[in-house]
Amino acid sequence: MTTTIDTDAPETRAPSATLAVLKRAGVVGALVAAAVAVALVQSGSGIVVWQSVVTGLLTGGLYGLIAMGLTLIFGVLDIVNFAHGAMLAVAMFISFGVVAVTGLHPYLTMLITVPALFLVGVLVHRGLLSGSGGATLENQLLITLGLSLLLENGLLLFFGAEPKNVGLPGETHLDVFGAVVAGSRLYAFLGAMALGLLLYWMLQHTRLGTAIRAVASNSAGAELVGINVRRIHTLTFAIGAACAGAAAALAVPLLSVTPTLGEQFNITAFVVVVLGGMGNVVGALVGGLLIGLVEQLTTIYLDGQSSLLGVFVVFVLVLFLRPQGLFGRRT
Amino acid sequence: MIVRRLIAVLGVGALLAAAGCGGSAPSGAAVDAAGSGDGPVRIGALHPVSGSMAVDGLQMRRGAQLAVEQINESGGIASLGGRRVQLTTADTQGKPEIGQSEAQRLISDGAVGLVGTYQSSVSSNVAVVAERNEVPFVMDVTASDEIFQHGYRHSFRVQPGSAKISESAADYLKQVSEQAGEPAGRVAVLHEQTDFGTGAADTFEAAARKLGMEVGPRVSYDATTASDFTSQITQVKASDADVLVVAGYYGDSLLIAQAIDAVKPDLDAVWGVSNGAYDQPKFVSDAGELGDRYFSTNYHFDAQNPETRRLRAEYRQRFGAPMRTGAVLSYDAVQAIAAGVEEAGSTDPAAVRNGIARAQIDPLTVGDGPVRFGPDGENVNSAAVLMQIQNGRVKQVYPPEKAESDPDYSVAW
Repeated sequence: MTTTIDTDAPETRAPSATLAVLKRAGVVGALVAAAVAVALVQSGSGIVVWQSVVTGLLTGGLYGLIAMGLTLIFGVLDIVNFAHGAMLAVAMFISFGVVAVTGLHPYLTMLITVPALFLVGVLVHRGLLSGSGGATLENQLLITLGLSLLLENGLLLFFGAEPKNVGLPGETHLDVFGAVVAGSRLYAFLGAMALGLLLYWMLQHTRLGTAIRAVASNSAGAELVGINVRRIHTLTFAIGAACAGAAAALAVPLLSVTPTLGEQFNITAFVVVVLGGMGNVVGALVGGLLIGLVEQLTTIYLDGQSSLLGVFVVFVLVLFLRPQGLFGRRT
Repeated sequence: MIVRRLIAVLGVGALLAAAGCGGSAPSGAAVDAAGSGDGPVRIGALHPVSGSMAVDGLQMRRGAQLAVEQINESGGIASLGGRRVQLTTADTQGKPEIGQSEAQRLISDGAVGLVGTYQSSVSSNVAVVAERNEVPFVMDVTASDEIFQHGYRHSFRVQPGSAKISESAADYLKQVSEQAGEPAGRVAVLHEQTDFGTGAADTFEAAARKLGMEVGPRVSYDATTASDFTSQITQVKASDADVLVVAGYYGDSLLIAQAIDAVKPDLDAVWGVSNGAYDQPKFVSDAGELGDRYFSTNYHFDAQNPETRRLRAEYRQRFGAPMRTGAVLSYDAVQAIAAGVEEAGSTDPAAVRNGIARAQIDPLTVGDGPVRFGPDGENVNSAAVLMQIQNGRVKQVYPPEKAESDPDYSVAW
């Protein structure tokens, strides 16, 4: 089975493909501009729309970060990881626990959550998914779904349902041309972008990244040239999980930490993955930004009906018009 | 191809989720000897003690347990020769279908009456089971008014309904703002979008308009997915609203408080209507200064009643946490069933039902008088009270006869 991970090095990519991507980006940009213009007409207040756009982009960065791990796992292993949200919750509780016990700065807990989730990823893949039990799609589904139930209820058992909060020391509010931006949200956004680029660079320019792309493209071929496919699978799953760990440390000051918080991101993250093209890391980041915008603009269009409504309208449209995602290739 | 697989997988996931929703078919009233013989009188308590509502569910189960202990300590049911009362408990897990089957189980085990359930959706199903089996069901916390529109004979409710709270909220807003010399002209409403928030916003809007206030903008949101309210509060700021009404739960209310602090809209007051956060110690401590001077109209334990103080002190001592209003309502609901048994002098659920309809009990929650149920099953003396967060404490501030301190009609920023 082939996937949509970029398998060509950038310099060897056919110019027509680059052109097509640019064209699609242009179309998407035009659609976004039109959507913002309609929102302006609808609300009649520039500042409201501007604030929505800023908020949407900042929230979207977080969605992108969460979806990156998911899309990587899906693109390389063909596993739809239903436990991604639950892993995020686990990482958030680790982060919360570390802050509560040591008083460390929430962002520094990334030094713990990332390796911890990496390890969780290794254990889950080696222990549950890579054996014959995880061979079929149905089994993978049941295993990851079961794992998410196990993790969520484990957290409930140990920490209780009472929501926990982690404050960001020295929280400030910035004024961006009239829109208010909480410092914590801006840092989370910048962190998400940096991590996205880091992941992209890793995939494009390191031996490990090349091996991951080779396995994604053709695992039999990769095995023939001496790549340990099972090891690459485990590493990829672990890196995907570690992304959730990084996202958790960045997002922990923004949310109330509850065992079930993963649910609210799971659905959105799947939509982002499909929108951005399954397996496409940069696509996930862009898709996240778009979904963040769609959510906020829906609030303006429909006077605050469920923002998920707009998200799913976009989801259905993408599945209908361009099922391989905005930045994915036909397989 | 991949997309097709993903869709198939999502579809299977949805099926799996739906598979858990099969209801159980109750089979007529089956009151065994335990309920009518010489053993203790059984009262069934249905609360969500696992799952995301577990904190409140556990509080309420303990509240019901304390009521049973109090009844037994003061001699049990006198009209039955001092028979003791026993609480049989069940976990609804916050799910209507589980609540339904557990209600059936408790009735089969001989419960003379049921209390519960904290969630309107669960109570709806339990009310049907109670009606079918002709066993009285006294709701402690259940906001939805819809249950009482079916003409059920066996459903009763201690707390004021959603409509009553919202109407009081509009009423109190007009009076308090006028007393402060800044009558509320335009009210913005921010509410979560399920029955609870929408219902509260609808009745509030109608009542506020009747009192001459304008309502708008009105913005709803999805409490389970919302993670930032800056845009919504900016929308409020861009309007010329004097007051912001918020009907939501804990997590979203906290995010709204953060957004208000960031945007600093030009308001005279933040006004909670049936708000699930503003009267909780947890919100007060987590929001800190951000929540200062927020108002909240809701049902509440009667802070002026010495009996309530004694109960809450005992709860804190035994369970190490402040007793919430929901738990005090469970206490009242169990007392109502016990009073019904006392009145009936029988453990036959049909007689107990008539006993509850005739009974009067002194509530530990705020009310206009003793708990007494009207023909529709609603507590005719239920009342909402206005509270305000003042110096890190939730104080009752209005109406004056229930007030612990004066309302401070202003905002902190």
